[in-house]
Amino acid sequence: MTTARQMGLISCHFCHTLSKLPNDIDEKSAKKQTEIICPCCYSSLHSRIPNSLSRTWALLLAALILYIPANTLPIMTVTYWGEGQPDTILSGVMHLLAEGMWPLALLIFLASIFIPILKLLTLFGLLISIHFRANWRPKDRTVMYRITEFVGRWSMVDVFVIALLVALVQFGKTASVSPNLGALSFAAVVILTMFAAHTFDPRLIWDAMEDDSSGEISAK
Amino acid sequence: MPSSNSHHNSANAQVNHIACPDCDLILSIPSLAVNEVTYCTRCDATLLKNQKNSINRTLAFAITGLILFIISNLFPLLSLKAIGLTQESSLLSTAFALFQADQPLLSLIILLTTFVFPATTLVGTIYILIQVKTNRINTYTAPLFRFLRSTDAWGMLEIFLLAILVALVKLGDVADVIYGVSLYAFCLLILSLSLLSYSLNPQDVWNKLRDKQEVSI
Ligand SMILES: [Zn+2]
Ligand SMILES: [Zn+2]
Repeated sequence: MTTARQMGLISCHFCHTLSKLPNDIDEKSAKKQTEIICPCCYSSLHSRIPNSLSRTWALLLAALILYIPANTLPIMTVTYWGEGQPDTILSGVMHLLAEGMWPLALLIFLASIFIPILKLLTLFGLLISIHFRANWRPKDRTVMYRITEFVGRWSMVDVFVIALLVALVQFGKTASVSPNLGALSFAAVVILTMFAAHTFDPRLIWDAMEDDSSGEISAK
Repeated sequence: MPSSNSHHNSANAQVNHIACPDCDLILSIPSLAVNEVTYCTRCDATLLKNQKNSINRTLAFAITGLILFIISNLFPLLSLKAIGLTQESSLLSTAFALFQADQPLLSLIILLTTFVFPATTLVGTIYILIQVKTNRINTYTAPLFRFLRSTDAWGMLEIFLLAILVALVKLGDVADVIYGVSLYAFCLLILSLSLLSYSLNPQDVWNKLRDKQEVSI
């Protein structure tokens, strides 16, 4: 089990072309030098995403802060005959349940409540596991990461539903739907967690294993 | 500097090895049969696939997709009829409605995810694949393809289709919903977009670019 970094190689993030670290300098000193450019796609090469952990932390904390207004502020107001009824994400799901539309309630619950929480918790868990250099089930953690990255964008469905309702239900005083700040906060949470997942480098999960084994060897 | 570097190394391990994007493990590139996929032996990440005719197929789906995208934007997707009034919505008018409702940021998000990124994906993919097919790769091909790969997740039309279905169910018992002409085109568009991303094998494009670069050195 050898990694590209151990062999003094850098794999391009985009085109997977392997390049040599110039003159066998380790990455820390290479960072201070001019950046290395991929010969195939001209992107700047990094053995790991630069500042991956601190950037993921920052994006995740920002998402967590916005998660509060996203859930407490109304996402939209439905007005019937001049009577406005503001809805939050949770009250929207409750209304659907009360109207017996439980498949829809389940869908919105999964996309707007379950997936964002799952995503925030998974990324927090991954960050903490890396800070503690855990070597617990790296493969499962990588799978968790892939799931988070894959399902995250589907949370946008509620934002699109609001947009469609706003565009369609415009009948003056009879019936109208208007968007509220909660919708923007929620969209921001989804976008920030997508960026957080994107800037997280799953190779950091496996680096702990590498450090472990090399530590053992040097100890012997 | 990078050019001399790549030339110098082209003979050794770098050419016939690949590093797993998810765990950095170095693996030798096997010769793949048609429709064969290789996975990382350590973390199961998909490494490489060999698809027959990937570039031609992807180009066909992208052109079909672009035509359907244009049709989807010409006519309304949905109309709502109540109290003698009809409200229509299309991709662009949905984004515009939010702008009018004093949510310019939300409007921008909708505009980017349902119009700008899907459009750039379709036009960009067609442009690049034609360049690759006709061997007219220039210095902008690689950066453009990188841009397309990194913005791939931000085109969200399939999620928008799910939202249309949700809106249909929600509005169904309140008002008359009329399916617009574009809705059929839109469903087919989602189908071509998923076939496009299934048939596209980015490594085929990168290999072409790499060969081209090596010739020019
Ligand atoms: Zn590259
Ligand atoms: Zn791997």
